[in-house]
Amino acid sequence: MRLARYVVRRVLLLPVLLVGVSVLSFVLSHLVPADPATAFLGQRAAGDPVVVAAFKHRWGLDRPLPVQYWIYLEGLLHGDMGTSLSTRRPVTVDLRERFPATVELAIGAMVLSVVVGVPLGLFAGVRRRGIAADAARAVSLLGVSTPVFWLGLMAIILFYAELGWAPAPGPLGLEVTPPPTITGLLIPDAVLAGQFGVALDALKHLALPAAVLSTYSLGSLTRLMRSTMIETLTEDYVRTARAKGLPHWSVVVRHAARNAFIPVLTVMGLNFGNLLAGAVVTETVFSWPGLGQYAFEAASSLDFAAIMGVGMLIALTYLVMSLLVDVTYAFIDPRVRIG
Amino acid sequence: MNRRRASVGGGSRIGRRALFGTAGAAIGSAWLHRLLDAAPAGAAPAAGGTLLVGEGFDIANLDPGRTLDLTSNMINLAVYDTLVTFAGEDLKTPKPRLATSWTVSPDGKTYTFKLRSGVRFESGRELTSEDVKWSFDRLKNIESQAAFLLDGVDNVGAPDPQTVTITLQRPKPSIIPIVSHPSLGVLDRVVVQAQGGDAGADAKTKDHAESFLSSHSAGTGAFRLVSYSPNNEAILARNPSSWRQPHVERVVLKNILEPASQQLQLERGSIDIADTIGHPQADALVSRPGVVVRHSMSATTFYLLMNLDPKIGGPFSNPKVQQAVRYALDYEGLMALAGPGAVRLAGMLTPAFPGALPASEAVKTDRARAKALLKEANLTGARGKLSYVSGWVRFGVQIDPVVQKIQADLATVGIQVELNGMPILAAKQLFRGGNAQFLIWSWAPDYADQDDYLVFLPGRLVGKYAHWTPETSPEARQLAALGAQAETEIDTQKRSALYQRVDHMLAQGPWVPLFVPALPFAFRSAVGGATYNAIWELDLAAITKS
Repeated sequence: MRLARYVVRRVLLLPVLLVGVSVLSFVLSHLVPADPATAFLGQRAAGDPVVVAAFKHRWGLDRPLPVQYWIYLEGLLHGDMGTSLSTRRPVTVDLRERFPATVELAIGAMVLSVVVGVPLGLFAGVRRRGIAADAARAVSLLGVSTPVFWLGLMAIILFYAELGWAPAPGPLGLEVTPPPTITGLLIPDAVLAGQFGVALDALKHLALPAAVLSTYSLGSLTRLMRSTMIETLTEDYVRTARAKGLPHWSVVVRHAARNAFIPVLTVMGLNFGNLLAGAVVTETVFSWPGLGQYAFEAASSLDFAAIMGVGMLIALTYLVMSLLVDVTYAFIDPRVRIG
Repeated sequence: MNRRRASVGGGSRIGRRALFGTAGAAIGSAWLHRLLDAAPAGAAPAAGGTLLVGEGFDIANLDPGRTLDLTSNMINLAVYDTLVTFAGEDLKTPKPRLATSWTVSPDGKTYTFKLRSGVRFESGRELTSEDVKWSFDRLKNIESQAAFLLDGVDNVGAPDPQTVTITLQRPKPSIIPIVSHPSLGVLDRVVVQAQGGDAGADAKTKDHAESFLSSHSAGTGAFRLVSYSPNNEAILARNPSSWRQPHVERVVLKNILEPASQQLQLERGSIDIADTIGHPQADALVSRPGVVVRHSMSATTFYLLMNLDPKIGGPFSNPKVQQAVRYALDYEGLMALAGPGAVRLAGMLTPAFPGALPASEAVKTDRARAKALLKEANLTGARGKLSYVSGWVRFGVQIDPVVQKIQADLATVGIQVELNGMPILAAKQLFRGGNAQFLIWSWAPDYADQDDYLVFLPGRLVGKYAHWTPETSPEARQLAALGAQAETEIDTQKRSALYQRVDHMLAQGPWVPLFVPALPFAFRSAVGGATYNAIWELDLAAITKS
């Protein structure tokens, strides 16, 4: 009951926080000392006051800033996030098209970083010296310090250009028709449509960018899992379990690892939000048509509606992930009381 | 006792487990093989039918009436037809397209075009002169950034279904290359009106067809637009109603921002054409088997601007300093940085069109003379800021090494410039606000005529950015008048001679003409007919793929 009240309270706060984010992104984007007309009009057009005036009038840019924001907020309350200057489509349509691509990439990266990072960190926490520990240290150091841009290009050169193991950058082969949209995620949509060849093609295309994107998360999860394991293995209940004569790996997995995993779970949730927000470089290198690329183009061209739409979507994602992590935390750790 | 079983025929029997295991493995393997090897469901026609183009997109939208962007031009050239066109790289000899012939009145103010008969839109409806008039009126009345193309046009007439007339306020020979621009592609007015299109005087507020035209086409071109995912991918398919047929069934244009990625994908055969690579990528691809590299002359002029307003330009507003800058530069070194195929500019007009000064008349490096001019101006040790777009790569030219070279060259004669790299938006703002002291910039053609480069004249668009007006000096006034005379001269030879005089005077203005780069692009050897045009990049309908 307490948990339910807590969840309801957090959900009710979401709109208020999102309005705050919209104000912040509106103010920050308008602080840039440049004019969208400069970004969107060619040299000739930008020198013609009639064309500039028509452009500004068409996009509401000739109104005072508070009026522009108020009009935006009114639209937002009706689910209208305005029209993108770059794509000339409703921002909601753009986000609906772009967000799933980033989610799919982030899920792929998250799965890889958890599947590799958590066991590696666990093993390195148990065997504090030796190959596993060294491997874990190397992986976590390289993961958090290697620039994604460089890694992505090197990965393309090695796995695609030289070895031919990976397909060309992009979410699907150029000659493959995308499956009908159900969830917006290519692999599930292809499976649901019975197009298993397309699903496999999408999976092959996802593998390399997801691996590249996962490196930071992999590094941080490995390191965290190792340190929480080391700490947990010194706890009294672990000593008690050993004293009771339980097998070593039973103690490690059933007793220590479960508890060591709790803080890792929190970080996983935050990492997922980071993956969604920080995929811009990976998406650019791999020609992945996701939110990151959209955000970069919006920021580069002062596309205010798109900038604010992306800002609010990412904020919403972080808030939801944070809520899910808190709730999950409360479920799996009975010591935690929230609300 | 051996438990060996006896088998029929004397050999050992295969156990049930082994039998089922083997059968299962065989079936599973066959399924897996089928899964891995089978073409994915929904795969397009086999290679040879689909052309795959990788390019860094330059698209705001695909509404012909509202865009001038290069990639948009390329797509619109494929899906819409214009009255006239140019073939391949050529931008000097207009060819018939929707118009089979055209005449001009003796006073040069009225052009009459005879339309090709039997041309049908995607919808199946036959094209008439009313569609041409509607499309042109729409472009003019929506007052978009492409509307200037019809500046000086008084009226577009449709006296009969096969005749279009364009009446001008004053003679304007450039109208012929202008109507070849993809922004003047003819739309199916019935379809576009049904989707909110308007061509009336209030089209600025009443036209709402942009969204439709950015995801659908309504033309007579060789292709039709199947889909466009903004900044991601555009897919074109053969238009069965078209009077001209392409050589491929389908074109997929993929937005690949990284030139290095385009290079790799071309090498691996994942794309057929890499359209926006730089010179380093072109150099790497030259030796690759199965790849052809070309350098096509662009019409884009690279130049330095020096501000004539003393408050902004400082020492660079002094004509003697401007001359000194022209003499100080090492043009051989700059041409090396401009890349293979680049052409030296003698004046501000592009050599792609008739009338530009030949490269042989370009100023030669003369540092002694530069120093003498600075001494005469009492400005030895002049200082300033050279502004540029940091990290800019345009038409294969990397700007950073070019500005570093300019800085070093000017230092040899005592002019100290600080490099002021900035993001592109800030640089555009500086340039268009007329606040740049000393700046490197470029001008790409809007249409295929020297007219388009009169923007550098006193009082015209770019001239104003340098604070150069007819009032600046008697020579400026004379040049402004000469330019106006050149753009209305209907005799081709006289026009060309006038432009040369204009160019000669422009070269003494607040500019340093640098070069016109050649644009590198590459394609697989199975591709034929790929040529680069300075206005619309590739003519997709002319490309073959074996």
